[in-house]
Amino acid sequence: MTNSSDEVTSEVAVSAQPDYPRRGIVRQAITAVLSFLLVAVPGTLGGLFFLDPILRRKKSADGTDSGTAQARKDSEGYIRLDVTRDAIPTDGTPVAVTVFDDIDDAWNRFSNVPVGSIWLRRSESGTVSAFNSICPHLGCSVNFRRAENDFFCPCHTSAFGLDGEKTNQIPPRGMDSLDVSLRTAGEIDSDGSEIWVRFCNFRRATAEKIEIQ
Amino acid sequence: MKMLIDWMDDRLGVRGMLHEALYERVPGGARWRYVWGSTLVFTFVLQVITGFMLWSAYSPSTRTAWESVYFIQHEMFLGSIIRGLHHYAAQAMVVLMAIHLVQVVIDGAYKAPREVNFWLGIVLMMIVLGLSLTGYLLPWDQKGYYATQVTTNIMSATPLVGAEVQTLAQGGNEYGHLTLTRFFAMHAGLLPASLVAFLALHIMVFRRHGLTVHDPKYAPDTTFWPDQVLKDAVACLAVLTAVLALAVFRPAEMSAPADPAVKFDAARPEWYFLFLFRFLRFHAVEALGLTFGAIIVPGIIMGIIALMPLTARVLGNFGHLLNRAFIWLMAAGVVALTVLAAWEDANDTDHQAALAESHRDAKRAIELASGPDRIPVDGAVSLLRRDPFTQGPRLFAQHCSSCHRWNGHDGRGSLIRDAIAAGSSGEAPFTLPVAADLGNFGSRAWMNGIVTDYVQHFRWIQNAGWYQEAARQIAAGEEVEFLDPASSEMADWTSGLTESLQAEENSENLKALIEFLASEAGHAQQEFDPALVERGRELAVDGNWAGDLEGTSCAGCHDTIGEPFPETPDDSTASGYPTMAGYGSAAWLKDFIRHPNADRHYGSRNRMPAYGPDQLTETDLDLLVRWMTGNYSPTTVADYPNQLEALNAGLASRAAGAVTDTTAAEE
Repeated sequence: MTNSSDEVTSEVAVSAQPDYPRRGIVRQAITAVLSFLLVAVPGTLGGLFFLDPILRRKKSADGTDSGTAQARKDSEGYIRLDVTRDAIPTDGTPVAVTVFDDIDDAWNRFSNVPVGSIWLRRSESGTVSAFNSICPHLGCSVNFRRAENDFFCPCHTSAFGLDGEKTNQIPPRGMDSLDVSLRTAGEIDSDGSEIWVRFCNFRRATAEKIEIQ
Repeated sequence: MKMLIDWMDDRLGVRGMLHEALYERVPGGARWRYVWGSTLVFTFVLQVITGFMLWSAYSPSTRTAWESVYFIQHEMFLGSIIRGLHHYAAQAMVVLMAIHLVQVVIDGAYKAPREVNFWLGIVLMMIVLGLSLTGYLLPWDQKGYYATQVTTNIMSATPLVGAEVQTLAQGGNEYGHLTLTRFFAMHAGLLPASLVAFLALHIMVFRRHGLTVHDPKYAPDTTFWPDQVLKDAVACLAVLTAVLALAVFRPAEMSAPADPAVKFDAARPEWYFLFLFRFLRFHAVEALGLTFGAIIVPGIIMGIIALMPLTARVLGNFGHLLNRAFIWLMAAGVVALTVLAAWEDANDTDHQAALAESHRDAKRAIELASGPDRIPVDGAVSLLRRDPFTQGPRLFAQHCSSCHRWNGHDGRGSLIRDAIAAGSSGEAPFTLPVAADLGNFGSRAWMNGIVTDYVQHFRWIQNAGWYQEAARQIAAGEEVEFLDPASSEMADWTSGLTESLQAEENSENLKALIEFLASEAGHAQQEFDPALVERGRELAVDGNWAGDLEGTSCAGCHDTIGEPFPETPDDSTASGYPTMAGYGSAAWLKDFIRHPNADRHYGSRNRMPAYGPDQLTETDLDLLVRWMTGNYSPTTVADYPNQLEALNAGLASRAAGAVTDTTAAEE
């Protein structure tokens, strides 16, 4: 039984067999469709799963935020900084400050951790301006150059004035300014010493300033 | 189009390859019995696709493995389907492989000249079993953790190098991050790569020798395409439909996050290894040692299977007969042992209780993980460790259940039984509870029991040895101080005034008093009627009762009733009556558990052991009390069923049995 089939198989020569069975075009079509389905179904399911970052509804939106950073964050997203206005140099020299917040990262919540760094600057009139220290060009970190008295990104030499406006053609836009609110004991007060900043990041490499939600 | 194909054919020979692939001859016609190999290849492809997808979201470490699998299963788009497909296709693969093996032996497809391909198949089988074994641990849940512990401990029974083999597999002396990274590297790297290589060889050699034709005269010869492909495709679609249906309607399970400090009594291997598990449980096998049962016997069986081609060669048709008999015997044995193990588990109340606890923990872990605070950095395991709903029952079972019960059970859903007397058979009788059933502690029902029927409420303590001893001493005329609900002032109050208390005139008053007392205990998941509470407070403190009760008040004896339980309680104001300040509240409970013998509680009449911090840590006391007072995030997880009826029925038959025994003894 087995021997005979072995002999038969060994006689099958690949190219010397022009007479493909042409009969049963319907059967061939059905077979082709079913075989396609076998790959297409798991392939499609898998592909959709891979698109999860685009397709999934963010769950954090409906959860009540209750991380430890909430004590220093208001409902509009302003975060109180540790530094006060009085601690910023009056001569206009910018200072770098770390911002703390809760981070939701997939399954984890990291409570009250550093989420970014900002440049703070105090004007002569006493107002405070804040810039996200991430370069709008391609996301490196912008430094303050004391010698040039400007902001400068060492990666691709983007340069900005102290007012955040770009001073060469490398970055697509000026540095990303952030909303600042001066307060006293959490109440808005233009003479207040507490600095509250609405911290966010923006898409890189666009002329327009687009917030990353 | 034709030009393109010509161009490719000239350079790659695609026509020839396609022809070879599709027009292989099938002597005797296409048959359903030839589909098994193809279903295996298909299932493997399915595993590669779903496995890659899972890989893209899985994070192998002891603090992220369960968490990432939870995220896949419960939050990611189609995550439950992808994981379910992978989970069930893995099981399908083992089943299909067993069918394939049995068929190869029965049809004699292992005989010359196909011996090498048979051996290649055995290698493939080992790889698939290795994949299922390594994959079982990856979710890092209790089930996978404890089942895999057994496997790696079996490895340690390897002669000579057991300890080293185990250390290498685990990536250290104990399970940890490296166990997961190593298992994952095997599961997603080395094993699938080896499988691809051996599968290619297997198919190549298969093509060289062709099908083992079962009956060449069954039908006219045909070719692989389309006749056999159609049958193969239908079979593969059936497999796909089955695993997809399972993934949709019975999502892959996930037990609680692995915790080496939490016993897992429901540990079982994946069902297709149950036969081996059951085999190792035979006393005769156990007596011969783990190495014998878990390594030598399976080794011999695999050896006999691997030697089948030689057996058939040397002994001819008789050898083939022997081989077939052996494979049928093995199949029957595996099925029988699997059924036996499943049947025993289904009838094992301890195992069922452990399973119930495992499901409760699993659901709670998932509930907490999907809460608004998500999972903390120290992992989901810490969510459960800090959860009163999870820890309370365990602490109760450990510390309280030798005297108390919780709705009739030990806190974890099990009824407590006496040890079976030597020589007797049958079910052991339920152990008599010797202290109050705390399942409804602090509730309205509890307060109602105390106020309206004090003796009945605390009847359990009459079972206690100390109670009976004291009663004997009293009968003998000695003076003993002990708590006797039957002859207490409280009993006098409730029994003497029962009629007035239960009468129409005081029905609203009683309701108000109960509401007040329950609000003092303040079960966190109960709501109270403030007006009724206020009225009850006045009744308790001032005693505005009607009828015979007029003039009596709780405060007449329990002078601190209505006050909050003091932050630093002391006995300076002890009145000789148990304090009712914040009775049943968390603060009261904590102080009572620590100092039941303080004068503010039962003083010298107390018999409950005082639980100091050396027996019950502050953390554990807090968890226990928060559980008892309902102070935990609300849950939809079903709690252990109330077993009071079963307990009462059991105790009644125990009492009846005791009577019978005495009669028997008298005769």
